[in-house]
Amino acid sequence: MLEVAKLSKHFGALHVTRDVTINVKKGERRVILGPNGAGKTTLFNQLVGVFSPDSGTIKIDGKDVTNWSVEERAKHGLSRSYQQNTLFDGLKIGENLALAASVNTGHSMSMWRDSLTTPDVMAIVRDTAAQVDLTHHLDKYVTDVSYGIRRQLEVGLALATQPSVLLMDEPTSGVGPKMIHAFHHVLKRLPSELTIVIIEHDMSLAFDVADSMTVLNQGEVVFEGSPDEAKSSRLLQEIYLGTWEDA
Amino acid sequence: MFYQTSTRTFMLITFTLICIYVAFTADYFGLEILTEILILAMIAMALDMVAGFGGMVSLCHGALAGVGAYAYAVCTAKLGWNVPLSIVLTCCFTGVIAWIIGAVCSRTHGIYFIMATLAFGQMAYSFVFESAYLGGDNGLSGIPRLDLSAINIDLFDSRNFALVCLFALFCCYLFAWRILSSGLGRSLVGLMYSEQRSLAIGQNVSRIKAHVFGLSGLILGLAGSLGAQHIMFISPNLLMWTYSGEVLVVTILGGLGTLFGPIVGAAAFILLKHQVSEYTNYWHLAVGIILIAVVMGGAKGLYGSLEAYIEQRLRSRSSTSTNVISEEE
Repeated sequence: MLEVAKLSKHFGALHVTRDVTINVKKGERRVILGPNGAGKTTLFNQLVGVFSPDSGTIKIDGKDVTNWSVEERAKHGLSRSYQQNTLFDGLKIGENLALAASVNTGHSMSMWRDSLTTPDVMAIVRDTAAQVDLTHHLDKYVTDVSYGIRRQLEVGLALATQPSVLLMDEPTSGVGPKMIHAFHHVLKRLPSELTIVIIEHDMSLAFDVADSMTVLNQGEVVFEGSPDEAKSSRLLQEIYLGTWEDA
Repeated sequence: MFYQTSTRTFMLITFTLICIYVAFTADYFGLEILTEILILAMIAMALDMVAGFGGMVSLCHGALAGVGAYAYAVCTAKLGWNVPLSIVLTCCFTGVIAWIIGAVCSRTHGIYFIMATLAFGQMAYSFVFESAYLGGDNGLSGIPRLDLSAINIDLFDSRNFALVCLFALFCCYLFAWRILSSGLGRSLVGLMYSEQRSLAIGQNVSRIKAHVFGLSGLILGLAGSLGAQHIMFISPNLLMWTYSGEVLVVTILGGLGTLFGPIVGAAAFILLKHQVSEYTNYWHLAVGIILIAVVMGGAKGLYGSLEAYIEQRLRSRSSTSTNVISEEE
């Protein structure tokens, strides 16, 4: 589904990703781990097209999208949520979701039809709101809701584009334990055919949702395997979780 | 998001009725002022479409209306084409020019966008100023008005011409309302709040900006052709950047992002200009003081502030009545 081969990127002397190769199957939940500065978000930025890689290829559904623009990749089914909320702040939650839903339904450029009220867009808004527990907040302005609800909307916006591959950059960033628990349920509820790549620092959530894990360190893939293998990996413990000796 | 609220509909109808009343009671000078207001309102409304709903603060909208005026003058006075066809061609031509400017400038942001639009406006001014074919500094005269004698309307009568301008403004409002309520208009508002997110959900941000810029150009073409018919003479001053600046002042004065606000702004601006200038040459000072007050007072503009007050009152009244009903139950 998502094939990343030998992806490299550097800024001056700093190599942010080095020969990163990742293959994620359809419906797989892949968790990306790594310490701060490991290159996780930069990898996401290359996957969605914000940064163009120095070398390597990115394929979605067998199609090489390496040189495609951000919007072309999004239209092809690649969607992302951000670590920092990137929402349509002055609008209502329902309007936010409708804007995202209007793109793939073909209403976002229509000069006559109102994209907010077309039945197919409204159906997607309802479904997405149900998936991310926002059904009772659709008429509220983004600025009037809590940070946790905005994080849910962040994921909702990515989902409303009806992607085949969803990249989630630390969805629980900055939320409390109660909200993290709620995110467990949100992630479990997502369609099984949806391919998800998720950067997550909350270990209980990461191990709970992951089918497989990839660990990045200094821009390189240093581990790839199942959650059980990750738990028993001494290398992973040393570079990311720390060791008992360190403690 | 743009919604044609009941407040806006009420204000639009009230404004239309006031204009009709003025048209049938005012003297010649009053009718000339009314026409001036209506044409300026069209240009300011076109600017509000891109600036108020897309965050594209353009300093070439006045110049684009000037391009429309010159296009109309060339079609009629120079080439001798019939007037209705010339108006249609003027709208299309100005729309295309606006689309090209929008497409180029959409790749810039903030102050650079303003500077890029200013550069386009000044290029148009310089071209017209230097062109012997377009009359250069002397401008063009002998511009005909639309001939509606077939339906017994004499457009050389100021009242009839003002009413035609009112009808044109009303049509422009309906057009802008339709566009801002469409998928394209919704997408435009979205990218004003977050261009990054608009890209991430797969929207072609540059194309959306260019399309709406081009559509606002259609209104400018119509306003330009009516402006040329009004004075029946045009000069390069129409394309001066100061005129575009004035249009921006009018839009902010009335209320950016309200669509109806620019109409109020145009009325306030022209009335101030004519009334205050009777007493002093420093009428710009009065406009400046009001503009500073508007900006300091939340930047909602004259109409924007009124609308916000009315909407708040309506909301509090409906919530009070809901509470009374629930208490009775």
